[in-house]
Amino acid sequence: MTVSRERKMANDRKQGGAPGMGIPIAIGIGTAMLAGAFAGYNESTVEAGGKPLATWIGPLVALAIGAAAIAYYFRRHADWLRSWSPRKRLYWISLLLAGALGFVTAILLQSTGTGGLFNDEAISPAVAILLSLLWTVGLMVSLIIYHRNVDDHEMLAYCRGGLAGFYAFIFPCPVWWVLARADLAPPVEAMPLFALSLTANALAYLWFKFR
Amino acid sequence: MENRLKVLRAMRNWSQAELADRLDVSRQAVNAIETGKYDPSLPLAFKLARLFEMPIEEIFDDGFKGAENGE
Repeated sequence: MTVSRERKMANDRKQGGAPGMGIPIAIGIGTAMLAGAFAGYNESTVEAGGKPLATWIGPLVALAIGAAAIAYYFRRHADWLRSWSPRKRLYWISLLLAGALGFVTAILLQSTGTGGLFNDEAISPAVAILLSLLWTVGLMVSLIIYHRNVDDHEMLAYCRGGLAGFYAFIFPCPVWWVLARADLAPPVEAMPLFALSLTANALAYLWFKFR
Repeated sequence: MENRLKVLRAMRNWSQAELADRLDVSRQAVNAIETGKYDPSLPLAFKLARLFEMPIEEIFDDGFKGAENGE
């Protein structure tokens, strides 16, 4: 089989006709959006005075559809997956694990309260301990696999992202603190700083990885 | 640092993805090296040299002209 040189030249996105990770990532985003649609439906039903679905139904239906779609895709491209190097396989497993942890965390948070995903509503100690364990142990396992299998280029992007996230914390935090002590700003809160740090981290990482 | 990766790859009719698979790195890494946005680590440079069967300095050029100036 001959392939034209022009088509094979630089900046090609991927091998012609070869599957990629774009569709699995799109399935993941679609699954999250479907779960969000269920949550939106519940909220509008409550506002209209109706009886909403149980909070766990939407995420579970979305998860089942997403899992089925992923399983179908991977089964269809089984030979392609088998051709992956062990490093590449473990790298994607670590990302899949981290994504699954995030999704399960979101489902737990969504289904234990009535105020949506991001709020300060009280949750039970059992759920709090479970979420803490998921975040620490689960993320730690995922990150150990990730760091042992990521390539040099992505590691550089990751480190620069980490540095950006660090700066996005150490600059605003003390400034906010001294301003709050002088009553020029509201009391310091952790979550906006966490969100800012995470955003700076993600933006820098994505820029250096995909620019 | 300049390099001849794009030319060497084209001579073998490989896509960026194919070269990435042979090096066991991501396609973005190959693209970043080719466009000069990222200088590979020493192990990756050796891997490239072995793959193309040529010395590292025939693939990468750091612009140093010391030998020509008699240094």
